[in-house]
Amino acid sequence: MMKLSMLKCGERAKIARIGAIGPLKRRLMDMGVLVGEEVTMGKVAPLGDPIEINVKNYSLSLRKKEAEDISVEVVE
Amino acid sequence: MNTAASSWEPSVKIPEFETRDLKRKSIAVAVAGNPNSGKSTLINGIAGTRLHVGNWPGVTVEKKEAVFEYRGRRIRLVDLPGTYSLSPYTQEEIISRDYLVREKPDVIVNVVDATNLERNLYLTVQLMELGIPVVMALNIFDEAEKKGYRIDTKAIEDMLGIAVVPTVATRKIGLDDLLKRAISFAEESPLRLPKHLIYGADAEAASRQIEDHLRKDHPSVAAAYPLRWLALKMMEGDSRVMEETGLDEGGLLGETLNHLRAAHEEDIESLMADARYAQASGLTREVMIRPAIRKMEITEKIDRIVLNRFLGIPIFLAAMWLVFKFTFDVSTPFADWIDAMTTGPFRRWAVAAMGFIHAPAWTASLVTDGIIAGVGFVLVFVPVIFAMMFFITFLEGSGYMARAAFVMDRAMHAIGLHGKSFIPMLLGFGCNVPAVYATRVLENPRDKALTSLLIPLMSCGARLPVYVVFIGAFFAAHAGTVLWSLYVMGIALAVLMGIMFKRTLFKGESPMFIMELPPYRMPSFRSLMIHTWEKGKHFLIKAGTYILAVSVLVWFLLNLPWGVQNKKDSYLGKAGQVIAPVLEPLGFGNWEAASSLVSGLIAKEIVVGTMGEIYAHKAKEDKKEQPSPTDDFREIGTSFLAASKKSVSNIFSTFGISSLSAQQDDESAGLKPVLRKTFTPLSAYAFIVFVLLYMPCVIVAIAMRQEFGTWKWFGIAFTYQMALAWSVAFVIYQGGKLIGIGG
Ligand SMILES: Nc1nc2c(ncn2[C@@H]2O[C@H](COP(=O)(O)OP(=O)(O)OP(=O)(O)O)[C@@H](O)[C@H]2O)c(=O)[nH]1
Ligand SMILES: [Mg+2]
Repeated sequence: MMKLSMLKCGERAKIARIGAIGPLKRRLMDMGVLVGEEVTMGKVAPLGDPIEINVKNYSLSLRKKEAEDISVEVVE
Repeated sequence: MNTAASSWEPSVKIPEFETRDLKRKSIAVAVAGNPNSGKSTLINGIAGTRLHVGNWPGVTVEKKEAVFEYRGRRIRLVDLPGTYSLSPYTQEEIISRDYLVREKPDVIVNVVDATNLERNLYLTVQLMELGIPVVMALNIFDEAEKKGYRIDTKAIEDMLGIAVVPTVATRKIGLDDLLKRAISFAEESPLRLPKHLIYGADAEAASRQIEDHLRKDHPSVAAAYPLRWLALKMMEGDSRVMEETGLDEGGLLGETLNHLRAAHEEDIESLMADARYAQASGLTREVMIRPAIRKMEITEKIDRIVLNRFLGIPIFLAAMWLVFKFTFDVSTPFADWIDAMTTGPFRRWAVAAMGFIHAPAWTASLVTDGIIAGVGFVLVFVPVIFAMMFFITFLEGSGYMARAAFVMDRAMHAIGLHGKSFIPMLLGFGCNVPAVYATRVLENPRDKALTSLLIPLMSCGARLPVYVVFIGAFFAAHAGTVLWSLYVMGIALAVLMGIMFKRTLFKGESPMFIMELPPYRMPSFRSLMIHTWEKGKHFLIKAGTYILAVSVLVWFLLNLPWGVQNKKDSYLGKAGQVIAPVLEPLGFGNWEAASSLVSGLIAKEIVVGTMGEIYAHKAKEDKKEQPSPTDDFREIGTSFLAASKKSVSNIFSTFGISSLSAQQDDESAGLKPVLRKTFTPLSAYAFIVFVLLYMPCVIVAIAMRQEFGTWKWFGIAFTYQMALAWSVAFVIYQGGKLIGIGG
């Protein structure tokens, strides 16, 4: 298990746990970031933050801090 | 075009529209959907320009409605804010659900982006819980087909119990069909309610228990809400629903909820979201076939370059520079033309008309210097506002706006702002007024407010004439450096104030940045026009009236008591005398400087004009020969053509930054010797710094009032800027004296 924000560009992973609570968690869920969902790491912004992930066949951007509590398992 | 919709036959034979159910002559249609799914385009395609823009009660989010007649019915289309869900966390979501739950529209038209079916269906599933018939507009169908997606609309209808109509809003395809289906669904309402989504055995049992409980023990609550929706929301632990209904988790309700929570490790919210998504993805799998091999999409290709680690920022800066140049270069010739017209021919005609009816001198002055000048003042902003709205709409519509935010967020976040704040801030260098309107790109009220507070520190074009006169008089040898120092000082102070505000006024969590990066799309010309007009219209109507009123007020201030010979005795002069002592420690504590600063309230460039009047006693009368009305007309026409030509040529001569010398006109030339007598170089520098920083002009004030619905933010901006201007000028002047420069 590792943090979502630590994935390398193009790497695919399955979401194992979402530690966020309250509005942040709800917002993540509403955008399709759920436990069991597969995500692909996209680009990192030129200044190092935010990051782009691909989930449910669309692109989502979020700050590293917001991705902090999301643990993932890399899939080959 | 898919033919599934046209082959659809109603399962029950419906009698002709006109003969049935006359009680339902008025039909409320709520248009809901994800952001960017085409709601506005669709409504505009159906209702045309009948769109009425207002505000939702209590909030400044736009409310767009269209009312029109259709086959003997009164149709009211309501454009709900784009949302991904109906949770109670964002303003848009609260507005949407409050409307749906309280106003109980007759039918919901759910606009769905067919290229992104699964995520869109997550909202559809929630809309289906409201006890209102749902008609889905499967929009952007053209792009879905181009991608090779095949969608079985009939299957969606059968599985969800809703109607589905493929549409291409931009080309008005399917819209008539959609409207007809919406009407028939509204009129056959109880028969046309969507199916229930099943959440799993124990959740369903809990929901039924809660529903029963509410029906029995709280009949008034049960009657006021869609019951199943209410029960589901209570299970999700929706705080807003609990607050509104006044119910607490005691008794039977609490028991049921606790039981369910225990079974699901406290997390019913996730359970429900999972169930909804399961439904959405299951449905997507059943009804949609995607081509096996996915091409690398154009969006990916563009993003490779645009979001590239090294190229990302240079590209962003170049794009911003183009927006800035285009906005101001395209609009300036027209603004100048309008200015020339209102101060030229229109003014002359008004003077002539006033003379003709023998109006007393003060009335004539009120009309020409107050009202006509005021109208001119409003109109001068029109080109720049519309030009800016056009480019911003383009950025938003093309999908680049989200990338711009993505690239800049890190830097802007450091001073408490959002990535998108960069754009309004940048426009601030041209003019703070459109910049404040541009804060509309920010969804969150907190981001909007903080950005607006910092915008006035961006040195706008109107301050330039003041700098130019003073720099010309005192620092001609170092003009570039001094000018540069002012812009940099503004930016540095914005960073400083941003950090300070972040720690004080805007303490706490900054809003989330979880944001979709939509696919790139060429916005249609039509939708560009619609959105530009919608945004700009606001300024014209609302701000226009305010500005007019204020300029009349200022006229009174400047000219009363009527007939004063010495400006010192006008209200403005008197105000200057009162304020002067406060400015003493800054090195310019005389009434002349103070009065000029007060007049800068209207617009900062006026400071120079007022100084000219006060110091140089310059005669204002036009000594030119009066041109005939036909000359006037010719002048209007030819100068408009010239303005258009200039505007176009400006696009090509992008390096056309007006040089300093071009800004110096004769008016200010006579002013310089006088200034050299009253100011020292040090106090002159303190003065221009003061002009840079002190209060936003009145039009910015009105823009802020309009955008926020309250004077609060302007009040804060006014206060902090005055304090800042005074302190910085104080430090410069006194510090300079201390180390022995200028003195
Ligand atoms: N290709 C295609 N583009 C469309 C269609 N409908 C809308 N668009 C485009 O999609 C973009 C978004 O449309 P809008 O009408 O602004 O979307 P909206 O749902 O009102 O967006 P928000 O108000 O931000 O929630 C625009 O650039 C439209 O031109 C369509 O049927 N086909
Ligand atoms: Mg819209």
